[in-house]
Amino acid sequence: MAKKTYDLLFKLLLIGDSGVGKTSILFRFSDDAFTSTFISTIGIDFKIKTVELRGKKIKLQIWDTAGQERFHTITTSYYRGAMGIMLVYDVTDERSFENIVKWLRNIDEHANEDVEKMILGNKCDIDGKRAVNKDRGEAIAREYGVPFLETSAKANTNIDKAFNDLATAILDKYAGKEPGDAPDRVMVDPRRGDTSRRSCC
Amino acid sequence: MSTSQDLPGIIQAKLSSGEAAITVHEASLMQGWVRASRILALVEHENECALFIFISSRMPPEVFTDLAIERVIPVDADFKCEIDAGEQSVDVYVNISSRKLKLLFEMIPGLKTNNFVSEIMRSMEALSKRRGPPPEFQWLHKYSGSSNRNSADCVASSLDTSDDDAFKASKTEAEKMLDILDSPDIVVPRQSIAQGATPIAARESVIRHQMSMKEDDYTFTQTLRMFIGTWNVNGLPPSSSLTPWLASDLEPPDIYAIGFQELDLSKEAFLFNDTPREEEWRKAVMAGLHPGGKYRQVALVRLVGMMLILLVEEKHVKHVRNAAFETVGTGIMGKMGNKGGVAIRVEIHNTSICFVNSHLAAHVEEYERRNQDYHDICSRLSFSKFAPVKCIKDHDQIYWLGDLNYRITEVEINTVRDLINQNYFPALIQYDQLHRQRSQNNVFEGYHEGAITFKPTYKYDPGTDDWDSSEKNRAPAWCDRVLWRGDGIEQKEYRSHPILKTSDHKPVSALFDSQVRVIDVVKYRKVHEEVMKKLDKLENEFLPQVTVDNTEIIFDIVRYLEPQSQELIIANTGQVPVQFEFIKKLDDSKCCKEWLNIDPPVSFIMPGEKCDVKLEVFVDKKSAFKLNSGVDKLYDILVLHLEGGKDIFITVTGNYERSCFGSSLEALVHVSVPVREIPIGKLVELETTKEAPGGMEPYPIPKEIWFLVDHLYRHGLKKQNLFLLPGLHSELLAIRNWLDNGSSEPLPGSLHSIAEALLLLLDSTSEPIVPFNLQSVCLGASSNYLQCKQIVVQLPEYRKNVFLYLCFFLQELLSHANENGLDAKTLATVFGGIFLRDSPRPSARANSTVDRKKANFVYHFLVNDLSDYVVSKALHLGPSS
Ligand SMILES: Nc1nc2c(ncn2[C@@H]2O[C@H](COP(=O)(O)OP(=O)(O)O)[C@@H](O)[C@H]2O)c(=O)[nH]1
Ligand SMILES: [Mg+2]
Repeated sequence: MAKKTYDLLFKLLLIGDSGVGKTSILFRFSDDAFTSTFISTIGIDFKIKTVELRGKKIKLQIWDTAGQERFHTITTSYYRGAMGIMLVYDVTDERSFENIVKWLRNIDEHANEDVEKMILGNKCDIDGKRAVNKDRGEAIAREYGVPFLETSAKANTNIDKAFNDLATAILDKYAGKEPGDAPDRVMVDPRRGDTSRRSCC
Repeated sequence: MSTSQDLPGIIQAKLSSGEAAITVHEASLMQGWVRASRILALVEHENECALFIFISSRMPPEVFTDLAIERVIPVDADFKCEIDAGEQSVDVYVNISSRKLKLLFEMIPGLKTNNFVSEIMRSMEALSKRRGPPPEFQWLHKYSGSSNRNSADCVASSLDTSDDDAFKASKTEAEKMLDILDSPDIVVPRQSIAQGATPIAARESVIRHQMSMKEDDYTFTQTLRMFIGTWNVNGLPPSSSLTPWLASDLEPPDIYAIGFQELDLSKEAFLFNDTPREEEWRKAVMAGLHPGGKYRQVALVRLVGMMLILLVEEKHVKHVRNAAFETVGTGIMGKMGNKGGVAIRVEIHNTSICFVNSHLAAHVEEYERRNQDYHDICSRLSFSKFAPVKCIKDHDQIYWLGDLNYRITEVEINTVRDLINQNYFPALIQYDQLHRQRSQNNVFEGYHEGAITFKPTYKYDPGTDDWDSSEKNRAPAWCDRVLWRGDGIEQKEYRSHPILKTSDHKPVSALFDSQVRVIDVVKYRKVHEEVMKKLDKLENEFLPQVTVDNTEIIFDIVRYLEPQSQELIIANTGQVPVQFEFIKKLDDSKCCKEWLNIDPPVSFIMPGEKCDVKLEVFVDKKSAFKLNSGVDKLYDILVLHLEGGKDIFITVTGNYERSCFGSSLEALVHVSVPVREIPIGKLVELETTKEAPGGMEPYPIPKEIWFLVDHLYRHGLKKQNLFLLPGLHSELLAIRNWLDNGSSEPLPGSLHSIAEALLLLLDSTSEPIVPFNLQSVCLGASSNYLQCKQIVVQLPEYRKNVFLYLCFFLQELLSHANENGLDAKTLATVFGGIFLRDSPRPSARANSTVDRKKANFVYHFLVNDLSDYVVSKALHLGPSS
């Protein structure tokens, strides 16, 4: 039977200062790998990954953006159309955390109004040089009403969860609009009606 | 494609004599995750068909030697062809399978594909209608390297088709060619996939195919005990318990498929298909089931007297899916329901099973009618609720039961009875029509039947175990049979139940241990996830990828009117062709600033190849004043967009060396030293405030204009065609340097170059001498000198000065008209365009009327006496300062 198994495409966006680990987070999620060399993203790139949520297959198209200051005005033009945005800061970099507010404002100005957001405090594997405590991340997330997770692309902490949570939030929002899946199982009703009459004369 | 007309001819040349290519088509074979071009041909030889798959060393092939036969698949009873065109998918997916071999082809939708597939379907239909022995495909033996006719080949190919391409049994011609081909023809999954445009409907086929190839990785087998029973009840109601038939074994079966024939012989049943017997016999069955199990009725189907009930032990019910039933009448007029078949199909776990109960044509001599009925049932019975529809043969396991009505013939009835009495069935079976027809492959091809160790089940005097004693005195026969087809089926029992005496037939039952494939949910998830991951990975790998050698292009020093260029190398490092384009960002109207030119701005790069893009910076009058005033900088970010992929940002920067060209008159009058000698910041400040640094007394006109005009005044009054012939570019640059840097040397360049430099200087300011907002007034006044004069008098001071100064000079030139040949009209036209330069706004498009008016405006000042204008003394021409 020709079933349409999956039909959902979610466009997600990663933003945040340069060097906080956006590219690493995406690389971990899509390729399950990590590299410690830093190659600054000069542009906008995307990867796709299919996930299964609530029994539905969902194709995520995840856009990674250049974080450098000089590209800000250009990158904001990519916000429109994103259904979910990850704001990433680096827990060892105070400034990147302070800039979260700026990034949030950017989203307000340039993204779809109903975009789902999530704040990630990345590099939580690094203990010694931590500059931003988890409490502060949680506090700002609470203040803006945005879900929050500490992640590590390096140690693979909360990476899948972050994307699954964000995608689930989007899915739940659209859930009402999707027609429910018809159950696959059909038992033949042993009533005599149909067959018998149809096949005679 | 232009050459595709020749394709059938090329294919035909590849074939042997007597073989005819009926239809030929190009398709992509989905090999694992990569599409590879193939040519398919349906080839006929003496009413036998086979599908040939060709590899070509070039596409399209030009001669038959380009082709190698990769595989030959006979169109036999095992051949299947299914079309899978998802609602949204752009391409048609065609599944070709034969036994364990499964191939998935992608075809472009359209008439050609339709024709091709219908030809295949037609050949399959012809096969099913075929009478006599099944095709033997002798003619394919010479292709045996590529054929998978015999089952050994078949296994080999099923193993290696799982992921990689070719057929490993022996190095085939095709394989050798594959080795030779340096780059296998790798094609991208459609671009739309990468863009997520038609998300995944198209992927579904690939996923389904991959999952079915990997079935062994996520399924295990479970054995189910199947009870298959058949009884012709001669139109009588149940008269005793069915337990001795249905529950004669120790162990309860997992599944019952119980068929009846001649349930009701009444006219009502025949004409209206309505009978109380259905319920009576159904109840009798339910009451007679094995007491060791609890059974649920999954389906019941009846056509006149043929009824089939499928019962499943409760614990298995939840694993039964997609149940469906169908009927086919082959009786009077070829469709009435007194003869024919009824069928139920289900999927139990991951195995599809079809049960068929048939009552074939009667009468001793009518065995060919019976064969015919069998074939009619096979070709006409289809479960239409599925897409594509499923036929009987499209099932993993088939159990065929019923009153098949084949008799024992060509032997004395007494001999028959003797052999029966001696229980010597192996001898008797030789006279069984079904046995004979099957061994001649005329019916039930591919089916098995267990050895018969029970007495013929027909025909008895009802209520007894005595052979028919009526005057017809029919010979005994094994009318009632059970056959099966499929893998993993082992027959445990095959017997009759003579103790049931209701009918003139005895009931028969067969017991099977049948293996069904059970999905291990955990493993299934894992395999499925792997398949998904693999596809995601592939999709990511097949996104367009390029590297650029430099994302920060720096131009050292950029000077006015001096073009400079750098090369950007874009290399396609991905697996697919890339279309790139420098795109506009945000609200910009162009993909880059006006001082930059990109060549080419759009292009196409094949994998492994490069494209050189020339970036040229050129500051001319359009951009110079913006750079001078700091409104613009030599800084731009280019967005290099890959179609269906990422964007790369390329930053372009440079140091612009400011010049008097592009400076405003107001700024220049405040500068007493060469422009290059004052710091950039000062210059920008001057452009914005227009005030002197340190309160210097401004010049009445910019010194640069004075230098140029003065030079022309001294040396060029008699020069022909001044302002009409162009100067030399190199001299213009030298003049620019001389003005900007200051020099003790005399002003370089020819008179024409100096004249052009003057025009350029006037033309490069942000605003012309007559400001844009006064232009329409000027044009309106152009026929009236007094009004023109009025306007000029009211011009901002320095502009008025420059205007009049130049007019004095031009009048001087005209006074030498007999030597230099100039005339007022021509000069008025040249300077009209400069003094009244058009606004860069696109709405202010020039036209010839406007140009004439501009010339008229200036003309007044070239032919009238200007001495009554109150002007600074410094404006007087000649050697004064
Ligand atoms: N220790 C640690 N280093 C990380 C982590 N994520 C990224 N990095 C490193 O931080 C640097 C910048 O990462 P990148 O992903 O390029 O940042 P982006 O500019 O936001 O894309 C790289 O050297 C990464 O190896 C993490 O979770 N833990
Ligand atoms: Mg990055």
